[in-house]
Amino acid sequence: MSDTAVSQPLDQSEEMPVTDPADALLQVENLHTVFRQGRRAINAVNGVSFSVGRGETLAIVGESGSGKSVTAMSLLRLIPSPPGEIIDGDVYFDGRNLLDMSEDELRSVRGNEIAMIFQEPMTSLNPVLSVRQQLAEPMRVHRKVKEENIEARCLDLLRQVRIPDPEARLDAYPHQFSGGMRQRVMIAMALACEPRLLIADEPTTALDVTVQAQILELLKDLTRQHGSSMILITHDLGVVARYADRINVMYAGQIVESGTALEIFENPRHPYTLGLIASMPRLDAEEKARLKPIEGQPPDLGNPPAGCAFHPRCPFAKPQCREQDPPLEPYRGNHLKACWVNVDE
Amino acid sequence: MSDTPLLEVRNLKVHFPLPGTLLKPKSGGSVKAVDGVSFHLNRGETLGLVGESGCGKSTTGMAVLRMTPVTAGEIHLEGNNITDLKGRSLRTLRRKMQMIYQDPFGALDPRMRVLDIIGEPLKVHNLVSGRKAYRAEVMRLMELVGLLPGMAERYPHEFSGGQRQRIGIARALAARPEVIICDEPVSALDVSIQAQIINLLKDLQEELGLTYLFVAHDLAVVRHICDRVMVMYLGHVVEVADSEELYTNPQHPYTQALLSAIPIPDPRAESRREVDPSIEGEVPSPVNPPSGCPFHPRCKHAMETCRTVAPELKDTTQGHAVSCHLYEPTSAAMPQIRVASMA
Repeated sequence: MSDTAVSQPLDQSEEMPVTDPADALLQVENLHTVFRQGRRAINAVNGVSFSVGRGETLAIVGESGSGKSVTAMSLLRLIPSPPGEIIDGDVYFDGRNLLDMSEDELRSVRGNEIAMIFQEPMTSLNPVLSVRQQLAEPMRVHRKVKEENIEARCLDLLRQVRIPDPEARLDAYPHQFSGGMRQRVMIAMALACEPRLLIADEPTTALDVTVQAQILELLKDLTRQHGSSMILITHDLGVVARYADRINVMYAGQIVESGTALEIFENPRHPYTLGLIASMPRLDAEEKARLKPIEGQPPDLGNPPAGCAFHPRCPFAKPQCREQDPPLEPYRGNHLKACWVNVDE
Repeated sequence: MSDTPLLEVRNLKVHFPLPGTLLKPKSGGSVKAVDGVSFHLNRGETLGLVGESGCGKSTTGMAVLRMTPVTAGEIHLEGNNITDLKGRSLRTLRRKMQMIYQDPFGALDPRMRVLDIIGEPLKVHNLVSGRKAYRAEVMRLMELVGLLPGMAERYPHEFSGGQRQRIGIARALAARPEVIICDEPVSALDVSIQAQIINLLKDLQEELGLTYLFVAHDLAVVRHICDRVMVMYLGHVVEVADSEELYTNPQHPYTQALLSAIPIPDPRAESRREVDPSIEGEVPSPVNPPSGCPFHPRCKHAMETCRTVAPELKDTTQGHAVSCHLYEPTSAAMPQIRVASMA
């Protein structure tokens, strides 16, 4: 890593790529993904719309079962079917609808223009192929890189992800790497074709905190260098505060609030976002400060409550919340919320 | 609080022998999971035991519980040496020390009703007589941890992760222990549920005067519950201090790096912080630990001595001990290291 890296200043009006939907790299509209279990249908993603600007890092935060990973998998049609099925919606990547593409067309996008990094590097790498073979595969398939150039390109990738002694590691197998190094190999694979969009699904959840910091700094540097966009899926609000330009907060398969990092953390408008921030243990808290949990449990998505899915746990809930599901609407500019209540009242 | 600490651990070592190879069956060496750890735990306090995976924090907890063989050192509970207890006296000891596990799914027998899971310690240690008293005691425990007594006849799979953790806590409380060892009790839970369990543990401590050894990797969680914190690295204690002192004035380079690596959920505070990239690489294997100070290969302040001589844990101020050559009086360069300020 470079010398002491001070996180970027947050003067978002200047720093941030303004996301004009017309110029968005990725545009998701009204996405619905269900999982069928016998006669039960679980609405894992229930009408999600958002966009990702060029060069932007968008974080999707939420707790387990909120639909954040299913959203990411749906974008590339990686949902196992059956039991899963994308029943509605459009996903425009640079103007082309990924959900309408043939398998062949889609294959030329996956791992090429859009790459994905998963949580568990051990299960995502092939244990019987060397790092060289796994790194070379996307280049051969998508970029038709000449055989004589492949080794140099592989070494270059390993250097970019800062794997020490890349010449010696090129012919090693995944089990010979530690967790953090495996995640670096995953990132190198994802970067092999210089994707325009990187989807990172909990990329550091399985790693120790000092290694997490290294990996996230690396992702930040590399996406900035290549000017790629990133969707960062995580449950960790701290990670989001450090690395995201914009944030979608998800609950029960829906986006409940969307805005810039500053808008979400300093002026949260949805009671769930408020609750999430208040319940998060903080390093800079008062000593032994009491946390404010969100009471109750997340809903069963096979049998969600009527109205707003959060209303049974919401301290602000009013009669309307029990009956009508609030739409995601602008609160101010691009800061959106799906809530009937004004949390200031 | 009396003068003798409730629990005292002196120079604890837990080494796991490695299997040899076919040709050299005896030269397997060993994993030094815990290598000379000393600490004490006062009645009614919470001591946090933190570090990254493989630092020996869980093994230390298991050794204290006498659930893993101790290679060397002594463990004293209420002034009695319990290191070599066996048979009946060991079983009596078990009641006094209980554990709350990380994985609320794996820690409960799926074929037992909640009533029997929570009640098992009552039976094993003969703490109640008669069915009626047994049932009443289980109901009391369930209410204490925030479970509806009506759920007693259900099985673990019918509960969410947070509720299962409550069952595990009720079971630990059933034995009326002196010490509860919490091994990552909230790391498998979602944030909003995590807060519920942390608050429950704090309330129970206040109500029942419990003593916790709180093993965790998450320093932010630890800050909300611990009175003192002990940081471990590769089987050694590198720093121990009162919680407030440790977070505002961390001295060991490892503690400093660990704190700066944890992001704060506040973009404005984050933009003011320095992300300390000085900590390179990963924790080395405990099979073949580095010579001298175990942290020296990753330490930006490493000096010649650090490569050869292992530093000892010494007090720098009252109650704040550090194991680092930088803080020894002979050291020329006291570090002028600033950690990310916690504005």
